[in-house]
Amino acid sequence: MSLLLSSISFGLITAAVLSIAAVGFTLQFAVTDVLNLAFGAVMIVSAYVAYAINSLGVSVWVGVVAAAMTGAVVSLALNRGVYTPFKRRGISPIAMVIVALGMTLILEFGLQAIVGADSVSYRLNQGPNIGLGSFRFSLVQLVILSLALVIMTAVHALLRYSRLGKAMRATAANPSLARNSGIRTDQVVTVTWAISGALCGIAGSIFAIDAGSFGATSTDLFLVLILAAVFLGGPGQAYGAMLGAAIIGLSTEVGAAYITPAYKDVIAFVLLLGMLALRPTGLLGNRT
Amino acid sequence: MGHNAAIFYIITLLVYGGVDALACLGLSIQFGVAGVTNFGFIIFQAAGAYAAGVLSMPGDSANGGFQSYIAGLDLPFPLPWIGAAVVGGLLALPFTLLVGKRLRGDFAAVGLLVAAVMANLLVTNYRPLFNGSAGLSLVPAPLQDSFDPQSTGYQWGYCGAVILLAALVYYLLHRLTESPYGRTLRAMRDNDVVADSLGKNVLSLRLSMLVLGGAIAGLSGGILVGFINLWAPSGWGYAETVVLFAAVIIGGAGNHKGAILGAILVPLGFLEASRFIPPFGSPGLIPALQWVAIGLLIIGFIWFRPQGILPEKRRVNIGFVLPGPQRPERLPGSSTKVATLCRRCRVPPGPQPRLRGPGVRCFASTRVSPRFHPNTGTAR
Repeated sequence: MSLLLSSISFGLITAAVLSIAAVGFTLQFAVTDVLNLAFGAVMIVSAYVAYAINSLGVSVWVGVVAAAMTGAVVSLALNRGVYTPFKRRGISPIAMVIVALGMTLILEFGLQAIVGADSVSYRLNQGPNIGLGSFRFSLVQLVILSLALVIMTAVHALLRYSRLGKAMRATAANPSLARNSGIRTDQVVTVTWAISGALCGIAGSIFAIDAGSFGATSTDLFLVLILAAVFLGGPGQAYGAMLGAAIIGLSTEVGAAYITPAYKDVIAFVLLLGMLALRPTGLLGNRT
Repeated sequence: MGHNAAIFYIITLLVYGGVDALACLGLSIQFGVAGVTNFGFIIFQAAGAYAAGVLSMPGDSANGGFQSYIAGLDLPFPLPWIGAAVVGGLLALPFTLLVGKRLRGDFAAVGLLVAAVMANLLVTNYRPLFNGSAGLSLVPAPLQDSFDPQSTGYQWGYCGAVILLAALVYYLLHRLTESPYGRTLRAMRDNDVVADSLGKNVLSLRLSMLVLGGAIAGLSGGILVGFINLWAPSGWGYAETVVLFAAVIIGGAGNHKGAILGAILVPLGFLEASRFIPPFGSPGLIPALQWVAIGLLIIGFIWFRPQGILPEKRRVNIGFVLPGPQRPERLPGSSTKVATLCRRCRVPPGPQPRLRGPGVRCFASTRVSPRFHPNTGTAR
């Protein structure tokens, strides 16, 4: 029983990190129709900015804020400098995915050229273990969990109750209709990339906190989990991404406890392929 | 010794070039001609290499049993290579699920990319299959009982066989691409909805391309493992597929000559160029910069020259509208465009007086574009 409980608590942490990343990824896809495979690369670049700040002796939580800003800036630059110009040329979604893969190589290995191939870790104190009912979390894990809850609530409030969120949903549903209705879709897209980029940066730094040690290519596998969460819930669906993150996070960690840790990501992979094959619009997507 | 080393270096280059050319040809027919974006291409090459390895190796208790792998059938020479191609082709079948018309092309591509990452993870962690992360070593060279694999003659022979096979595959793919079947594939690439509505079975066409390209990739893997005698998961990360894509895009998607040129320029050129750069910086710096350069090349080419160095042949389909009541009043496109095309389009030789009189209009279409843009639904 304690095995189940501890695997669930690990799963909750993974789900927390994953939900922040998956919501960011799916928002980018919703408003620009770009499957930004460079998302993992931006995550790890942000994580390294947090590392640079942390290694100066500053608290890692200041680093998380810096990572959020880095993620926003890099994502905006990526959209402005690469994806939008290519979109204006009218390239196909497929060619865009190839461009995104090219950007992944440039960002990840550009980073590796600077920081080297060795893994690094943040300097932080995990804090005392705290019992919550039958679960036990370290203080850092509790902070990660509550951060994810706060962010999910904020995203929910943004999408439901603000003018910006309404404009984002309208742009995602039908860009030309949104533009004709007086929504400045260019601005909405820019703001969405800034917000989702900040989520990407936060996800990158807390992924690095959770992982313990990380290197320039650490997020390659995590990107698979993000994709699984996004496609499980339905691409472009923010609530779908949250649901998908919870399912993927819990199922991989519980699976790791009962099968073997080496294959835990295979569960995510099977869920992803099954979803693509059987219901490409995801659990919360519309049937087409 | 220096002389022999130089010869060995040249042979190695030629074998690598032939293997890369084979792989790029397989990707060229899938991606360039049929528009099937197989981001998992490398797993087909890897499967072929593993298949050839375990088919040609003795049982895993040999050599003190330091490796563990399945099969170990100790089969004589041509069988491992044939097995490699067969396994590469069969591996395509599970991906039927991803290439139907229900799934967007870029979603399918992501599914295949994830499959490549996962296959690598599985093979790395599950040691009984192909000896885990250490990989297979001591894979026998073909015909090593009859010849000395270290001799120069054997190596020239190997090199000749690879180049011959690459030439054969090029010829077959060329014939396929020029045939009516090839035209159907291009139609599917340019607009799969139209191809589907004209009664072409898109799923079957895409699956056939996955099987054909997979078999070619498998063969290339089998040839490679016979030459280098080892094969491990670190050699076939998902990023290796990106290198092959870079080669095909740079060479010219849809043009098989371009695929071969790309194979020489990108995987081979990069591998070799790095040998001649004086080492600088930390040990991992040059490989990291190589990956950055490949990313920049892909993006630069898609931006500045999406058709690649050797663009796909412009195909002009010529048709005639005969005078009569059924003749359309206006042909598609402006009349001046029809006139300029009329001067350039070549009427097939032979007596065709009826086709050249007054009232006969010649129209030509250049429907097939040199750029790859499936799913957009428009021809540019």
